[in-house]
Amino acid sequence: MVNMSDKKISLDKVFTFGAVVILFTVFSITATNFFTVRNLLTMALQTSTITLMGIGVTYVIITAGIDLSIGSVIALTGTLAVMAANLGWPTWLAIAVGLVTGIACGLGNGLLVTHLRLPPFIATLGTMMIFRGLVLTVTNANSSPAPDEFGALGNLTLFKVSAPDGTTVFPGISYIVLVMIGMALIFHFVLKKTRIGRYIYAIGSNEEAARLSGIKVRQTKLAAYVVSGFLSAVVGVLLASRMVTSQPNGGIGYELNAIAASVIGGTSLMGGIGTVGGAVVGSFIIGILNTGLTMQGASYFAQQIVIGAVVIGAVAIDQLRNKRA
Amino acid sequence: MNDVLLKVEGIGKAFPGVLALDNVSFELGRGEVHALVGENGAGKSTLMKILSGVIKPDTGTITYKGKPVVFHSAMEAQRAGISMIFQELNLIPHLTVAQNIFVGHEPLTPWGTLDEKRMRTDAQAILNLLHLKISPSAEVRTLPISEQQMVEIAKVLSQKSEVLIMDEPTSALTEREITELFKVIHTLRDQGVGIIYISHRLEELKHIVDRLSIFRDGQHISTHDFGGVSLKDVVNAMVGRKLEMQFPPRNNVPTTEVLLEVTHLASGNRVADVSFKLYRGEILGFAGLMGSGRSEVARAVFGADAKAHGEIRYLGNIIHTRSPSDAIRQGLAYLPENRKQDGLAVMMGLSENLTMANIPAISKKMGILSLADEKAAAVASIESLQIKTPRYDQKVNNLSGGNQQKVVVGKWLFNQSKILIFDEPTRGIDVGAKYAVYQLMERLAREGVGIIMISSELPEILGMSDRVVVLHEGRLAATLKTSETDQEQILSFAAGVEQPHPAGWST
Repeated sequence: MVNMSDKKISLDKVFTFGAVVILFTVFSITATNFFTVRNLLTMALQTSTITLMGIGVTYVIITAGIDLSIGSVIALTGTLAVMAANLGWPTWLAIAVGLVTGIACGLGNGLLVTHLRLPPFIATLGTMMIFRGLVLTVTNANSSPAPDEFGALGNLTLFKVSAPDGTTVFPGISYIVLVMIGMALIFHFVLKKTRIGRYIYAIGSNEEAARLSGIKVRQTKLAAYVVSGFLSAVVGVLLASRMVTSQPNGGIGYELNAIAASVIGGTSLMGGIGTVGGAVVGSFIIGILNTGLTMQGASYFAQQIVIGAVVIGAVAIDQLRNKRA
Repeated sequence: MNDVLLKVEGIGKAFPGVLALDNVSFELGRGEVHALVGENGAGKSTLMKILSGVIKPDTGTITYKGKPVVFHSAMEAQRAGISMIFQELNLIPHLTVAQNIFVGHEPLTPWGTLDEKRMRTDAQAILNLLHLKISPSAEVRTLPISEQQMVEIAKVLSQKSEVLIMDEPTSALTEREITELFKVIHTLRDQGVGIIYISHRLEELKHIVDRLSIFRDGQHISTHDFGGVSLKDVVNAMVGRKLEMQFPPRNNVPTTEVLLEVTHLASGNRVADVSFKLYRGEILGFAGLMGSGRSEVARAVFGADAKAHGEIRYLGNIIHTRSPSDAIRQGLAYLPENRKQDGLAVMMGLSENLTMANIPAISKKMGILSLADEKAAAVASIESLQIKTPRYDQKVNNLSGGNQQKVVVGKWLFNQSKILIFDEPTRGIDVGAKYAVYQLMERLAREGVGIIMISSELPEILGMSDRVVVLHEGRLAATLKTSETDQEQILSFAAGVEQPHPAGWST
């Protein structure tokens, strides 16, 4: 009487993935140059940062929290990494400075939520301003160039193939995309296959039941905010490296793209529901729309309208389906 | 009573994997109190949700006051005069009693603003009718649960309903409040209101009920005039088999080994001074009136509430339970009273809930989960506890109350807990499932577990415990041998009528 089958393909995964395929097909037909190797690689590169942020914020949202400080953490960590590189520190150490700063930011957010018991929205709204203020104060709002070595990570590619006459046959896959894929795999594994991932779901689903089951609620939530801070720092470092400059004013509003990607991918703001795969697909829906609409000549402003409608539509479909069930 | 007020015919409703109602027909007369009884999952709640417009049936018709009706929302049903008092409280905590009573149909001033004054006076009138000493201006969140339940009833009365559906209205009420409620039910009946009354407490039906309909597995089994049927027959029809005994035979023998010793425990403002011992293999009952601190003692021992004073010894050694995880490490388990709110992650799967208190047991190195181990554990629990579920990873939300309780028990068995604290283990679950829970407790005690059973049902305490700890206003009133006491003695200690004396302390 107990059904032993393990596989069940949920409808929402079919839905969101289907949306990607449809968008992809439509743009491939309607926009010339959309379905080319070069364009696909560029699109993957541009989407990767949204994906990384989306994965981080998904961790936080599953615990029924939110992280509004992502954009500020990106600016702060990227800038500190560039400053470290400009002190003559080796690139790996400069990157480490950025990442450790991101972890510290996440820890700060987490402590405000778990120990001061602030609502996550308020805590991270506050730190969004604080982190932004810090980076602007330190740099006096000036961006500064970084040494060339620091730019390697963001600009080099793997598997680049050139013809003997010097023309590029295959532009190669950006390190940024590779980092994104690596992080997505790691954090998917952590969320689905490890204890801490299970605790994150349990807390988001019913915090009191989780606590009475002996789950350390504070530590777990802290971990989720640290993941978000860390992945924001990864984005901060990658962007600074790609631009080979520090950008104290960069990243403004990025957290909203991250939340949008997560939500389009099926994460519930009520907590307990969400996946890394969803965040990846959600970010690619945004990425494909951005690129495809640009190539069709739609303005940046019009793109905003479309993406806004997609966020609303995705959640509306979700609500309707839940109601029927 | 010969005048049919509400009639349903051929109602069917299917949920994913379950046929909740199968061709059900049912009639309610004007001025009739009609009880609906059946085990959990029998389909009573589904039928009531259909009648009150919360969900729509797949098939069948509803005739109300002679006309066919279809309700698209609870609001529509309410406007038509069909109201439901839900098992769960549906009050808005930050509004006052009066504001809650008139939510959705607030009286207005000629300028279209809220008429707070009239709301208060009208609310007061309804509260008076119920003989309640609750201020209409009190915020609902400041009231105890029992008073909130009465406010819920007052709210429905304010809607001048012709059909009133009550789903387990007495489960959170005190004896005195139940008496008041029954008086109100009589008044309403005399005014011609038809009342559908759902309850698991069959004994209380005799005070109010005219007719009774029995449901089982989504089907309407039979309807009887209340006088013409014995409760025993009703129970047999509910479970579909002969139920000889309410409690299983008791073969557990308490040993002399003290598992847990609590001395002079104090916690918060509910627990002042409580001491007790729990022996291996014993079922220790916790009795007391509402507010006597029974649950709070358990929560303090388990580390679930803020700082407690006093000494807790486990197998003779002092332990400090500052958090549930400390207590769990010592082998304690707490099964909370409110399963959905505190005990289960209802949006998660059965298997995930079962392993929640002992995730390390299904973990490999580096905190990586073994989903195969988890599945094996879940399948084993489903079989040994006879949990009815279509899948081992079924969402807990889709299980019936009795099966949910089994999942909570399974969670702690998987943790191999040595001391299990059951807080109202059978509240809201049906007769058949109750028996299964009792059997399980007996089996666990026999296997050497120590069990603390907190219960408001004295028959349950007398039927299942070896000794009883009686609390009164946060203090130990007596520790009694169950075989040497009775309902009256326990009650008089619980009410503070009889004072503790040296003999009462004997163990």
